[in-house]
Amino acid sequence: MAIGTPGAQGSRGADLDVRAITKRFGAVVAVEAVSFTVRAGEFFSLLGPSGCGKTTTLRAIGGFETVDEGDILIGGRPMGRLPPNRRETNMVFQRLALFPHYSVFDNVSFGLRMRGLPAADRARRVGEALARVELGNLGARRIGELSGGQQQRVALARALVNEPRVLLLDEPLSALDLKLRLQLQEELKRLQRSLGTTFIYVTHDQGEALAMSDRIGVMASGRLEQVGTPLEIYERPATRFVAGFIGDANLVEAVVEAVDGDGLVARVGEARVRARRQGWERDGTSLTVCIRPERVRVTRPDGRPDGLLGRVEDRAFSGSLVKYRLAVPGLRLHAAVPYIHGTALFDVGDAVAVGWEGDQAVTVPP
Amino acid sequence: MRVRGGLAALLLAPVLALTVALYVVPLGVYLVNGFYRFKDGRILREWTLDTYRAFLTDAFSYKIVSTSLLLAGIVTALALVVGYPLAYALHTRVKSARARAVLAVVLFCPLMISVVVRTYGWLILLANQGLVNMTLLRLGVIDQPIRLLFNMQGVVISLTHILLPFAIFPIYSVLGNLDPSLKEAARDLGAGPWATFWRVTLPLTLPGVASGGVICFTLALSAFVTPQLLGGGRVQVLPLTVYNSTVEINWPEGAVTSVALLALSILAVWAVNRGLRRLPIGVRL
Repeated sequence: MAIGTPGAQGSRGADLDVRAITKRFGAVVAVEAVSFTVRAGEFFSLLGPSGCGKTTTLRAIGGFETVDEGDILIGGRPMGRLPPNRRETNMVFQRLALFPHYSVFDNVSFGLRMRGLPAADRARRVGEALARVELGNLGARRIGELSGGQQQRVALARALVNEPRVLLLDEPLSALDLKLRLQLQEELKRLQRSLGTTFIYVTHDQGEALAMSDRIGVMASGRLEQVGTPLEIYERPATRFVAGFIGDANLVEAVVEAVDGDGLVARVGEARVRARRQGWERDGTSLTVCIRPERVRVTRPDGRPDGLLGRVEDRAFSGSLVKYRLAVPGLRLHAAVPYIHGTALFDVGDAVAVGWEGDQAVTVPP
Repeated sequence: MRVRGGLAALLLAPVLALTVALYVVPLGVYLVNGFYRFKDGRILREWTLDTYRAFLTDAFSYKIVSTSLLLAGIVTALALVVGYPLAYALHTRVKSARARAVLAVVLFCPLMISVVVRTYGWLILLANQGLVNMTLLRLGVIDQPIRLLFNMQGVVISLTHILLPFAIFPIYSVLGNLDPSLKEAARDLGAGPWATFWRVTLPLTLPGVASGGVICFTLALSAFVTPQLLGGGRVQVLPLTVYNSTVEINWPEGAVTSVALLALSILAVWAVNRGLRRLPIGVRL
């Protein structure tokens, strides 16, 4: 097992190479031909709804599941059927799995002990790890005497003290309340930057993934739908699922009428809408137009022939935003309009024109 | 769980009534005899501590107590040593719920058959011409039959078998409640299968071992049928003394021996509970 400063691995390219792995549980295919690579020092999230295969993928990387097809390379070495104790990974478990019969100190020193480090070195490194997660003075406590947030930090220290090449995190914050979760998100990100350790972070919370990750792999039904930076998957969702899962989105079925340069015009029933092109669209292609609610403009009807005409079906005021549900013939759209003093509000039942700048909407395969 | 006063009393009343009527009262009536005098084959209703004094000063009663403790101790240790791996295998190796249920029934089966029947079964197996000796002779392991009947060995073998389910099930149940990710965490932190067992699984299942142990110990201590039938008079334990004294109308001696038996059982439960309290897991009997 490599011991050394994790930051030193930064220049070595891929730390983790997942090659076409498939995992079946009986007749159920939990993970199907999933491939991705993660660079050293990267914060990579696997994001998807429950049952999408993200945790199984993570467990396969850690050695808790053997894959039926494909292989996983860590630091260039194929893992095959190596057990968890012989991989350069450490895991932060969803239910933390702290040892209740050990003190905080003994929990954190467990991995070092298994590697046969002398007691003095163990004490020093455990001390450093506990200090890093701001638990410096709690080493003697029992696990049961700690709060949820403190237990979370112990779990993190217990994994990080081993200086793993890749740290695996299985929804570690899901059990905490919102405020603590946001605080720990920030701490986790800061810790990851300062250590330079590669993080593989599994979550079903898209906000968490967008805020923390360098890149995100979005999974659905055992398949990897898209890999990209948070901005890429938000701005250019590769599939309808990704468009709907990341952020809020209006997904509108349309048929391409005219392609022009970077944009296109598509027909929605009788109306026409504009969208950014991704490149594969042709005249007559059926596709989905994805438009984020905050990019939808709601105005008084001005008699222009294009554009969509609709009626306000519902309105919700939330302080900084006014959210409208709009009925447009053949579809329903959501709009979120920023609210500042003086912004005119529409009432339920008002007739409105609905539109957006052409490059604010994007096409997605149907 | 908290139950409101009135309801609690109502729910507890039947069992309390039964316990008092069928256990506390007869036991009390019997134990009072311990303070009566036994003379010339008759119980005299005069208060005395002579029977207690005789029991406590007689070297033979210490021999009986030590035989009883030895038997219970060996049987408990064997039942735990054999039972733990069995419970562990049942928990970890048997994947299908159906197979697990079938195995659980198989393990529980012996409890549905009378101890007398099972003890006679062992009588046949352990006899000089029995299956065990014949097999060992045929295999050439021994050249003459070993005595397995009417001595300690026979009682230990048979009693261990009879009490095995009581060791297995508490351990199995604690194993089932163990968060499986604890074992995974140990593996993840570099522990091999053995280190994982010694440092995580075993310490966390000690409460199950303790409750299984206490059940086996108290049952072995008060076992009557097996030492009676397989001991051949050579395994003199407390329950046999109680029985013999009672049959001989020496109720005072029987009562005093019963008190000794009761005291030892209570002591065992207390000692184990005290030991458990020092574990950080917070499980009590």
